[in-house]
Amino acid sequence: MHEMGIAIEIYRASREAVSGHGPGRVERVRLAVGELAAVEPDLLSFAWEAVVAGGPDAQSRLEVEWRPARQLCSACGEVAERASGSWLRLCPQCELPLVVEGGDELDILEIVYEAEEAR
Amino acid sequence: MKTIVTVRRKALASNDERAAQLRALLAERGTLALNLISSPGSGKTTLLEASLRELGGEIRCAVLEGDVATERDAERIRALGVPAHQILTGGACHLDARLVQAGLEAGRIPEVDVLFIENVGNLICPTSYDLGEDFKVVLLSVTEGDDKPFKYPAIFARAEVAVISKADLLPHVPFDLAAVREQIATLNPTGTILLTSSVSGEGMDAWCDLLRARLAAKRGAPA
Repeated sequence: MHEMGIAIEIYRASREAVSGHGPGRVERVRLAVGELAAVEPDLLSFAWEAVVAGGPDAQSRLEVEWRPARQLCSACGEVAERASGSWLRLCPQCELPLVVEGGDELDILEIVYEAEEAR
Repeated sequence: MKTIVTVRRKALASNDERAAQLRALLAERGTLALNLISSPGSGKTTLLEASLRELGGEIRCAVLEGDVATERDAERIRALGVPAHQILTGGACHLDARLVQAGLEAGRIPEVDVLFIENVGNLICPTSYDLGEDFKVVLLSVTEGDDKPFKYPAIFARAEVAVISKADLLPHVPFDLAAVREQIATLNPTGTILLTSSVSGEGMDAWCDLLRARLAAKRGAPA
């Protein structure tokens, strides 16, 4: 389980990204997680709660956008349809080997930050 | 006031920065670095011992060993007269670039031709962390079952080389080698698959030749 370390890293990076916006609190962080990122979204959200607990961002949420990997045919270029977690050996149309693309995302996309009103 | 800050930053960017520093250092030294990943007990250290015996007189090697506890693996490597340093993660399930940087320094690892980094035994967590290596090697022993590539697709999709180890046990275990090859090729059509046994020596020539060729390629010489 390495999701705790990743959650800590995401929180640190998120706080750094909003550091120029004055005091306030993080409302939510949106994250892209790929099918081949070797990260479990539910565990990551659970770890996030533990990381922010007791601090100024205790109410914040980590929103995970799931990004499936794609299997492309080198001949027809079509993205072969497949059930999540299963893999096609050959293109159903051309019967040629497929290439796996993407799905390795572990990217912070945006942070919604509620800055305190200036006095 | 609500602000939406668009970031587009890798979650592990700070690890990636350190990995880039390592990669630059290793490039400067002309060192080929491998990141070996597998579940515990699939034969990473035994493959290294067999490799070092074969390459010993010809290529300067060093090993960084990642484990949760004990110096055992580093001791096994040092017994062969090869510089090795044990990185103890104290519970963490993977190595990261910071641990490798610290390990190179603490272990006073000399300039070598090939640096083997043996990750903590785990097929999941080490996948996410770039260690500055030239390529990842995943090991799968025939006793682990023939369904593993699709069960752990991330590492099999990323590892340039897949080593199916303990080939000498094939007659004794139900293991559909063709099915495993097909699963790996599905996830990584351009990868290399090797069948090895550190006990019988099967496949060791192909493995050592691959290392020689990759080292030559890194140094810009014809393989």
